[in-house]
Amino acid sequence: MRRGSLLQLIALTLVAFGIGACVALFIPWLPAPDSREAGRIWFIYWFATWICLGIFAIVAAVLVFSVLKFRVKKDDLSDGPPIHGHTTLEIVWTAVPFVLVTAIAIASAVVLAKDGNAGSNPLRITVTTQQFAYTFTYPNGATYGVLRLPVDRHVLLTLHSKDVIHSFWVPNWGQKSDAVPGLSNQLVVTPDKLGTYPIICTQLCGLGHALMRSQAIVMTPTDYATWYKTAGTTTTTTPASAGTTANVATLFKTTATCGACHTFTPAGATGTLGPNLDDLTAAAAKAGQPLETYVRQSIEQPDAYITPGYHAGVMSASCCKQLSSTEIDELVQYLVQNTK
Amino acid sequence: MTEVAHPDHSHEEHAYAGRPPARGWHRFTYPGWLRVMWVMPLFGFALLGLTVLIRWAAHWYPLWQSGPIVAVSLVVFPFGFLGGLGAFDYWLYYMAGKRTLPEDHSTHGGRTWRDYFRPNTDHKVIGIQYLVTTMFFFVVAGFLALLFRAELANPGDQYFNPQTFNVLLSVHAGLMIFLVVVPVFAGLGNFVIPLMIGAADMAFPRLNALSYWLLPIAGTIMLVGMITPGGGPSAGWTCYAPLCSHQPLGQMFFNMGVQWAGASSILTALNFLVTIITMRAPGMTFWRMPLLVWANFSTSMLVVLATPFIAGSQFFVMFDRVLHTNFFESGRGGYTLGYQHIFWFYSHPAVYIMMLPGFGIVSEVIAVMSRKPIFGYRLMALSLLAILILGFSVWAHHMFVAGMASWLRVPMMVTTLLIAVPTGIKVFSWLATMWEGRIHFTTPMLFAVGFLANFVIGGLSGIFLGAVPIDIQASGTYFLVAHIHYVLFGGSMMTVFAGIYYWFPKMTGRMYNEKLGQLHFWLTLIGFNLTFFPMHYIGLQGMPRRVADYASRFADLNLFISIASFGLGISTVFFLYNMIWSWSHGPKAAANPWRGMTLEWQVPSPPPYFNFDEIPQVVGGPYEYGVPGARHAIFGAAKPEPVPAD
Repeated sequence: MRRGSLLQLIALTLVAFGIGACVALFIPWLPAPDSREAGRIWFIYWFATWICLGIFAIVAAVLVFSVLKFRVKKDDLSDGPPIHGHTTLEIVWTAVPFVLVTAIAIASAVVLAKDGNAGSNPLRITVTTQQFAYTFTYPNGATYGVLRLPVDRHVLLTLHSKDVIHSFWVPNWGQKSDAVPGLSNQLVVTPDKLGTYPIICTQLCGLGHALMRSQAIVMTPTDYATWYKTAGTTTTTTPASAGTTANVATLFKTTATCGACHTFTPAGATGTLGPNLDDLTAAAAKAGQPLETYVRQSIEQPDAYITPGYHAGVMSASCCKQLSSTEIDELVQYLVQNTK
Repeated sequence: MTEVAHPDHSHEEHAYAGRPPARGWHRFTYPGWLRVMWVMPLFGFALLGLTVLIRWAAHWYPLWQSGPIVAVSLVVFPFGFLGGLGAFDYWLYYMAGKRTLPEDHSTHGGRTWRDYFRPNTDHKVIGIQYLVTTMFFFVVAGFLALLFRAELANPGDQYFNPQTFNVLLSVHAGLMIFLVVVPVFAGLGNFVIPLMIGAADMAFPRLNALSYWLLPIAGTIMLVGMITPGGGPSAGWTCYAPLCSHQPLGQMFFNMGVQWAGASSILTALNFLVTIITMRAPGMTFWRMPLLVWANFSTSMLVVLATPFIAGSQFFVMFDRVLHTNFFESGRGGYTLGYQHIFWFYSHPAVYIMMLPGFGIVSEVIAVMSRKPIFGYRLMALSLLAILILGFSVWAHHMFVAGMASWLRVPMMVTTLLIAVPTGIKVFSWLATMWEGRIHFTTPMLFAVGFLANFVIGGLSGIFLGAVPIDIQASGTYFLVAHIHYVLFGGSMMTVFAGIYYWFPKMTGRMYNEKLGQLHFWLTLIGFNLTFFPMHYIGLQGMPRRVADYASRFADLNLFISIASFGLGISTVFFLYNMIWSWSHGPKAAANPWRGMTLEWQVPSPPPYFNFDEIPQVVGGPYEYGVPGARHAIFGAAKPEPVPAD
């Protein structure tokens, strides 16, 4: 290779690297790292990015250089130099990528081990997923539809699923795990910023997949302690026996997760996947059934009558199977009494 | 071998299995579409009736239960179709002890358009059948993608409810993978491989004819599944259990469509393997084979070894549903993640099944168009084998967040990242092949270079996904969607276009329109990158894939992506117009318009029915451009056996 070509090639590589670096740096590719795990993962991301940008720059430069320099007119019938290979070069481009990917692998393995370490005294929370809702069970047995965590403490989430595979992901925390029926997957997060974050399901889990969302709220340790003490006692964990309106409302929203898909103003539920339950009298009339029969049938056999515009099989896939008959009775009464 | 040698080669005179051509009512018993019309319903309904009879005898009610009925139908009706069409006639005659002519060539060759609509034993006809069929499904599946991109242009529900949306994305992916990218390479390979190795046809021509006809069956089943009562397949192309076992009836059409496509794939791969191993021309050693042949050799081994696993996975989820087995039902002793292990044990190698033949095409195009030998030929071939072996050890990188044994994550990451090494060798070797070449930027070369550019991006984003901590953030998001499309569209489909333009003159005997080809390239390259590059960003930021609705902060970019995807869709119109118009009206092509050295360019365009009038004697490597006096093969050294006619 002539010296002029080499210099041009190096210049092109630098230009390509510069463009790549600008794209990498000036576009905020990653969300803010709001957990310790995310901080480490973002480090791996940048580590891999700089290596990949280097390789990209070389490839792009050679490609652009070849396209510009070695193109010929259609009627040029000459052949190129018969170069069959170059052993040193081939060894170099086998060995160098090998070293680079090994480096990425080692760094990743270290980060992976750190991100999986929950320390000696994590806050243990059980995440139960089902179509299409999350429930979070705290060590004292209290169950909520929203995840509240203290800042700067290791949290060990244990994920279960009642029906199909779901996933738990908070983009700003960098951590994600599937919830698989029959398995107890574990995930460690250590949020280090206060705030409210979306919890997102990333595993196609049925018709309501796009709406399977919840919230994670990170609080100061004092706020969390206060909330944990009070909220933990006012919300009953076994609403089946209590039967008060407030308890059934909780049953509606959390344990039975009706509110994930249905709007029901008295319970403060705003789901939009299934029919609105605010005016069940009209719906029952449309179906030609007495109100209570209609409500009961809709819970116990969701596919028996399908509200026009909705689909069979959505609700029957998972809901209500885990409810006791007392719970169903309570829900029916609650709905009948509180709807229009 | 039958010792019947006719002096003339007038194959038209000879009917199937020695029977006279059909006249009058005999047309209904002669293999063909008329026979399909009664054999398929007769065979199908007879066996369905038997099924119902067994259910009645065993007191399984309701007799007409949709699950078993659909499962049986999707097996027996296709067999009835194949039988009616004549795909089994020869073997049935043989098994029944009737007179057969092993050297019967009446089903060989494409003389009229009718020859393309029946089981044809000519690998060139089969290649074109494959390509036209796969391009048809490419258009259909692309159209489905445009439909759901329209839905995704704005957050909230616009045109489709979640069920329809899930069907659109599942069938888009299912068709693109099982009916387009996997078989399109089988089509190109079918046409080119026997020519490249100096063979008259494939090793098993009748099996070859059968493998093609499984493909329209698979595609039809998938499309019919979309309009099944109760809803189409909507569990994504991955069909994860247990969601898949509880989907509407249409899901079974997906499961069975995959079976038929998979069977087609396996049979073709067996055929390629035997053909490449046993039917190379004299002097065609493994180290003198063109890299496309090497690539298909590696691919075929992957197909034969891996495809049975996806067949298993699809059968098992269907059995869980129809037979109430408990492979993956955790509540009843099944193991849910088992599905993913089995599924990805095929579906990761499948990525290489969908990529290695493309590597082969690009190697051909770059060497010829750069007028230089392939740089590091042996390392190029060995890197294919390295990918083949490593490809089997990386499947669980699709499951880093799935909850599999956590110790497995690091070794799977290491093997995944190591695949970058042989892949890198290939990219660097292509660049070195272009270096100091005399590069002709024809349409195939543009697509090959476009492939290089896109594939480097797709490969590098693969490094990110291979590293477990980053994968934990990026899996299940649009980052993944971007990555797979950079590999399978920006990568594989670009090589497919390169291959189609490159061999178009050989296949049709006519040249395509160069200006339209280049327009197609630029529209595809630009439309593709505008569509898929922003997906990296929205994925990392927090947009999951497979959602009909999304957070409003992603609205602007999604609208942009949707508009770009429509541009990408329009680019295909130029391709189709160019292909269809040039096939009938293009200028006549020379035998060797690219001045290629490999054997397919040494025969006329289109090639004679039996490819070679003289068996080539291979004397050197396939890419000796610029080497004074070098030859890949010489003709006339050996006379071929006369084709023992009929």
